[in-house]
Amino acid sequence: MSAFMIGLLAGLGAVLVVAAVVKWRSRDKPVSVADKAEFLSRRRARMLPALAVIFLSQQATFFSQMSGGEHVSAEKAKISAWLILSVVLLFGLATKGFWLEPKEVRDLVDDENTRANRNEGMRWGFLFAMGSAIAIYVLTMFDVVTGREAVHIVLSFGIAAALLRWGVLERRAHRDA
Amino acid sequence: MPERLANRLKERRTELGLTQAELAERVGVTRKTVNTVENGVFTPSATLAIKLAQALDLSVEQLFWIER
Repeated sequence: MSAFMIGLLAGLGAVLVVAAVVKWRSRDKPVSVADKAEFLSRRRARMLPALAVIFLSQQATFFSQMSGGEHVSAEKAKISAWLILSVVLLFGLATKGFWLEPKEVRDLVDDENTRANRNEGMRWGFLFAMGSAIAIYVLTMFDVVTGREAVHIVLSFGIAAALLRWGVLERRAHRDA
Repeated sequence: MPERLANRLKERRTELGLTQAELAERVGVTRKTVNTVENGVFTPSATLAIKLAQALDLSVEQLFWIER
């Protein structure tokens, strides 16, 4: 099996394990739709900034350990695992998320304020992605940056900025005056 | 001077003896959204403003006004 496939499977496996743990942890939690939505909304507010930090630190590790072709298989596995995580996070940003929950809970947890916060997060993500693209463009005048590295940086900064901003706004929204 | 959408949501909700969660359930949003509207952090859509006014037995103009 190729290193790329191993990475893809590892990424998918990690996503499934996290989904299973989340589902198992919420087994005895409140059952009414409103209570469930409130519980999930609070958990999301806590998780988003943490996810952004984990995602960014993963990128820092990736770039600091770039071997320049010595461990090509390991690099391919890491890249494909990162790709899976990026796609899952992008899906989370672009959709209502909580894919394993009933539709009425998903609709409620994605109410007007949440959509506004998410859109603001997406706006920040776009601006950060564009900013990092410009920075890379300038960098290529002085150093060599491969296409893959450029895409990696743009995608990582865009997603992390969107997650972080959305998380901050959600936490602020939950805070009582 | 910037304009701000002020409201008497909290005052009216308390008058009627409702919690944020109960009001949220009546209008079909989460407690967080009611909280942000009450605190003036979030400007609701016309639809939500009308739903809130109906749930609190007031007109939209009685519930919300522009503060300069």
